[in-house]
Amino acid sequence: MRLLWIQAGACGGDTLSLLCADNPPLEQLIDEGLELLWHPSLSTDSPHRLRQIIAGIAAAQISLDILCIEGSLITAPRNTGLWDPLGDRSKKEVIAELAEAAAYVLAIGTCAAHGGIHAAPPNPADCTGMQFDKITPGGLLPAHWRSRSSLPVINLTGCPTHPNIISKVLAFLLRGLPIDLDPWQRPTAFFATTVHQGCTRNEYHEYDIEDVDLGGQGCLFFNLGCQGPLTLAPCNQELWNSRNSKTRAGVPCFGCTSPDFPRNDDLFRTEKIGHIPLRLPLGVQRAHYIAYKDLAQEAAPERLIHRKMEP
Amino acid sequence: MPRLTLELDLNRVEGDVTFQVEIEDGHVVEARCAGTAYRGFEQIMIGRAPYDALVITPRICGICSTAHLYAAVLALENTWGITPPANAVHIRNASLMAESIQSDLRQTFLFFTPDFCHERYVASSVRDAVVEAFAPFRGWMHRETLRYSRRIIEIVALLAGQWPHSSHMVPGGVTAKATIRHIVDSQSLVTEVTRWVEQRILGSGLDGWLALTDGDALEAWLAAYPATALALLDQAARFAGLHNMGFGASHLLAFGAFPLPEPGMGRNHWLAPGIQPGNDAVLPLDPARINEHIRYSWFRPYPGGKHPFDGETVPDYQPASDRYSWAKAPRYGSEVMQTGPLADLVIDGDPLIVDLYRQHRDSAWLRQLARLRRMTYLLRFLRQTLDRLATRLNEPHIIPVSPATKHDGRGAGLLTATRGALGHWVSIRDGVFDRYQVITPTSWNASPRDSAGVPGHWEQSLIGIPLADPDDPLEIGHVIRSHDPCLVCTVHFLEPGGGIRNRIQLGV
Repeated sequence: MRLLWIQAGACGGDTLSLLCADNPPLEQLIDEGLELLWHPSLSTDSPHRLRQIIAGIAAAQISLDILCIEGSLITAPRNTGLWDPLGDRSKKEVIAELAEAAAYVLAIGTCAAHGGIHAAPPNPADCTGMQFDKITPGGLLPAHWRSRSSLPVINLTGCPTHPNIISKVLAFLLRGLPIDLDPWQRPTAFFATTVHQGCTRNEYHEYDIEDVDLGGQGCLFFNLGCQGPLTLAPCNQELWNSRNSKTRAGVPCFGCTSPDFPRNDDLFRTEKIGHIPLRLPLGVQRAHYIAYKDLAQEAAPERLIHRKMEP
Repeated sequence: MPRLTLELDLNRVEGDVTFQVEIEDGHVVEARCAGTAYRGFEQIMIGRAPYDALVITPRICGICSTAHLYAAVLALENTWGITPPANAVHIRNASLMAESIQSDLRQTFLFFTPDFCHERYVASSVRDAVVEAFAPFRGWMHRETLRYSRRIIEIVALLAGQWPHSSHMVPGGVTAKATIRHIVDSQSLVTEVTRWVEQRILGSGLDGWLALTDGDALEAWLAAYPATALALLDQAARFAGLHNMGFGASHLLAFGAFPLPEPGMGRNHWLAPGIQPGNDAVLPLDPARINEHIRYSWFRPYPGGKHPFDGETVPDYQPASDRYSWAKAPRYGSEVMQTGPLADLVIDGDPLIVDLYRQHRDSAWLRQLARLRRMTYLLRFLRQTLDRLATRLNEPHIIPVSPATKHDGRGAGLLTATRGALGHWVSIRDGVFDRYQVITPTSWNASPRDSAGVPGHWEQSLIGIPLADPDDPLEIGHVIRSHDPCLVCTVHFLEPGGGIRNRIQLGV
């Protein structure tokens, strides 16, 4: 299968994430027949060749199986996109053209899917995502758009995308495996679980042992801005770099796979109503949660109250 | 001979680049690099809570996000007068060392050496060995670099949770202690990667390699281990003439790599900060002399240069004017500076690199050699840092920061990132940022002309390069990649406006 990778308004983090994938690693996919028509960090051909490839795809002389877009789609100034050019054209124009020819279009990272960090206020470069603008359907491409294989843009969100989400989805495509999408167009194989699930601070959360300051052993949800219980991502099921996750290392989940990432409020603070977070774990009713938490605290064992357990 | 203007794109760097170079008699006589893809991080920070810098600014760059995190936390601690405990400093240092080793390996063997497989070098005596080692996804060194760069970065995950883009450094320390399990795992990873570096890159032990003191000793070492990646890189680079090209700014700049929490033996840093103003005397760094010009940049004009504490970033896109870049032009006093591993090691006084710099100046070959040399130092420093952490497991990794401490004010965080001198300058008013200015290493190196019209370091380093084939200016690719450009930090390169004759679009 032929893959073309374009970086738009990007930090390169998703490319580095791809290089960090270990299950499966990129080189194994290449051995299996993944052909990199173009990747900005890995191709030995010159960018001159990229122009020929793009022209060849547009003229239907080269078939394109997988188009990967990394980075926010920059539309400034005045919707020309020329703050992020490719030769004489804007990247957004080239990308929209390539998408029409591709069997599968993957938005790699929350920037490409929803606009991400660069679309944070005041959105200096007028950034948007491939098929969403933050939480609103329709981005560079309209909400009803479908690729040659009748699929919408497949959103692999994250900032960056988890390394093995990228490589596994490429493996799905290479091996002809099915891809089931959630309402945000993300593969349910990765986005049907919360970051909270598998967090080694879970037992603290279970008994309502919540940290007030950073650097402790307890749960980060009630006071320190952690979005783990309301963020869909496999970070604590399939560990990062095969080793760890942010929440295990005491860093709050910032909800980087969510369409509205980054939140506008203080990222290290949890907004609360009374002593309960304003934003509750996915699908939970406030009255039930208050009752549960009051009981949980009563039931907490000494070893957790004294934070004896290393997360 | 008419002048020819080439417009050159460059890949295999962090971000994309376009240069405009003028060719006369087969040599580059003028060069402009023009920066693009304006993403506006400094604007996004205005009005945000101070700790948000720890989440937003690492996302400036995917390959050096730990360095941005470190600079951001230093800027906040500088503002608030906080000194973190020793273990926190060790954990931060270990994270940044592992990130730099990863980056130096990937830059060298994924981005730089593939060019030596070009058909132009078919007559080289080591042609077959170079292709067998360096060809993408087939060569043994390319494949092993993919594997071992993944391994070393696992250390950042152990300490920080994930890589890229964690936020484990916070004012007062780090969010998690290094447990004995994490330390042992990290030590094992360093051992594994060091063994690979010794066997496949160097040919023998790290200690013997780091004991080399001059160019003759290096020659003897390379002759003794001719089948290693280092020896192949050296031969391929010499065949391509890289020891004779790529000379840029003669002033070197280093902000200092990895502060030592317990200074000793006259050292405050693993690698010292300083300025090397074009001669042998290294001078102390004076951050007050740093300023940025925007005469040739697409920002609202102001005269001369501004210190980043007074800096502003107001876009003013004027493609039809003589301004040509989204990058600003940083200067030290009025001087153009070069920063990166070569500057780090010359300023710190590594005998081998100092000797070679005296003999060969800042050729593309020496810049690349210095990068590998620094990577080997970092392996040693990283092991020593982990060993120190192992002796002090019960010491604190963070101190409390009271709300009253987090007052308004301004501060700076300066350090050596993988590509050289990185600084964040912040100002907090009414509890939120009212100014956030970043100068990245690539901003220094990729600088456009300043108010006096003096070209930046890269622009200078292209002058005089002979082009064997102007239709395929491979030499420019070698030279620019030897600087390890990180365009996402700073710039992508955009078409300059006006006055272009005989314009040809090419790629390298």
